[in-house]
Amino acid sequence: MLLSVENLDVHYGPAQVLYGASLHLNEGELVCLVGRNGAGKTTLLRTIGGFMRPASGTITFRGDRIDGLLLENVALMGIRYVYQDKRVFGELTVRENIELAAYPTGESLDEAISKVLAIHPKMESLLDSKAKGLSGGERQILLIGRALIGNPQLLLVDEPTEGLAAIIIGDIIKILLKMKNKITMVVVEQNLATVARLADRLYVMKEGCVSREIVDEQTIKNPSCYEDEL
Amino acid sequence: MFGKVENNPTLTLVFTAAIFLIFGYATSLPKITDFMIFCIFVIGFDLLYGHMGQLSFGHMLYLGAGAYGCGMFAYHVYPDPFLSLLAGVLLGALVAAVLGPLVVKTSAAAFALLNLALNEVGAYLVLSPWHKWTGGEDGLSLFFKKYGFINFQQSTFRFYFCLGSLLLVVYLVLRLVRSPYGNLLKAIKENEVRVKFLGYNTYVYKYITFIISGAIAAFAGALTSINLSYTNTSLISPARNVEVIFAALMGGAGSVIGAVVGGTAFMTISNYLAVYLIRWEMFLGFALLVFVFWIRKGIWGYVRKV
Repeated sequence: MLLSVENLDVHYGPAQVLYGASLHLNEGELVCLVGRNGAGKTTLLRTIGGFMRPASGTITFRGDRIDGLLLENVALMGIRYVYQDKRVFGELTVRENIELAAYPTGESLDEAISKVLAIHPKMESLLDSKAKGLSGGERQILLIGRALIGNPQLLLVDEPTEGLAAIIIGDIIKILLKMKNKITMVVVEQNLATVARLADRLYVMKEGCVSREIVDEQTIKNPSCYEDEL
Repeated sequence: MFGKVENNPTLTLVFTAAIFLIFGYATSLPKITDFMIFCIFVIGFDLLYGHMGQLSFGHMLYLGAGAYGCGMFAYHVYPDPFLSLLAGVLLGALVAAVLGPLVVKTSAAAFALLNLALNEVGAYLVLSPWHKWTGGEDGLSLFFKKYGFINFQQSTFRFYFCLGSLLLVVYLVLRLVRSPYGNLLKAIKENEVRVKFLGYNTYVYKYITFIISGAIAAFAGALTSINLSYTNTSLISPARNVEVIFAALMGGAGSVIGAVVGGTAFMTISNYLAVYLIRWEMFLGFALLVFVFWIRKGIWGYVRKV
């Protein structure tokens, strides 16, 4: 097992957001988290990523406890996070964004750029542009590309298609499908049609808990079987 | 055209040298020497504020450490100007290195106010408990040895020495901010948490930048001591922190040329406007309002845009 999350309780100040949330992840899987707004999907993802500390519960990655680790140490273990808000380092160029991500991993800049271009060759013409000038879709692709630099073990992707034009959503899904089976991913996604295309397994979240795990491929491909629970 | 100047280090150096040579010979060399030293101070301050996004209300502490390091070395140890300069820079860097672990852990208002508090402590120590070495309220009158044409008692020599020092600082800081290290500072300014999640220990980079910034401010302080041939408590006064903040905002924070332009603009206002307006500080207040509301990228940012 690559990742095991057991009985996580997480609070924002006095307000509890997660109540004993648990999930597990096997090597090479793409697992989706679905649920209504406020169900705790992003909080769960952020807690796994080390952005938030759980009040109780454990997160184990390759057998090692990672809850309570410093953010930079979580990142150096190969866990990458693709943010929901699609914010890149706007004052830097695309090339500099890639260089910044490559340095701590020890990967050369050329190698890192080639990884980003492999998922989106059109990015080549934008390498020397300031990242703040990129469209939402291009930013998302840059964020995903940046997360692939080094030797990522686990990709946490938060609402990758939210707020994007339909044509770009298609590109993002193609990129995620291309990465599937090569890298383990947890994807938070609201769009059930997208979930049906991507997920090997999915967890339904409700009111801060993981209420159901769906493993059956036919059920996953038929969102009407679980959309009532959202 | 101005964008080209900023993107080319050689043009930047030529532009900076040309401006100060023209100003120096058109007005007064000693006055423009003061301008250049102040610009070095603004560059050091702006490395922290404009490039890394941390506003300090206590950077006079490092200017003062440099001034007193230089002055005390010359007064109590040996009046060699270069060794005194080195002593000033080292003392400033040492003070920043010692206080850094405490200061760098904070951010925003806490960072600004903690620096101010430490500046107050430093000013008090210099004024009273350490008066035997610092000269207390009277300060120290300084004399520096001459070596042939190297004569710091000559205003022309001081002018060219400070011009060379300014160009050196501009060149080194330009190299720094255009390197991957500089990009990291910009990224920390934009979103430190996300930089951490790329695997960086941002504390280390902030600490190193704090020391570099303190050392540059100390260099400006040591040059001030040599230029004025004295060191006194006005060089560590917390009340003067506002000058460097004004200058950085006026010139355009986050740009080395902006710091030079801001330093020059501030010194021009405080030196020349004071001749015509008794309460010239009021003009600075209005100017600051204009910059905060309408010219947020400062004079240099505005010129580049136009």
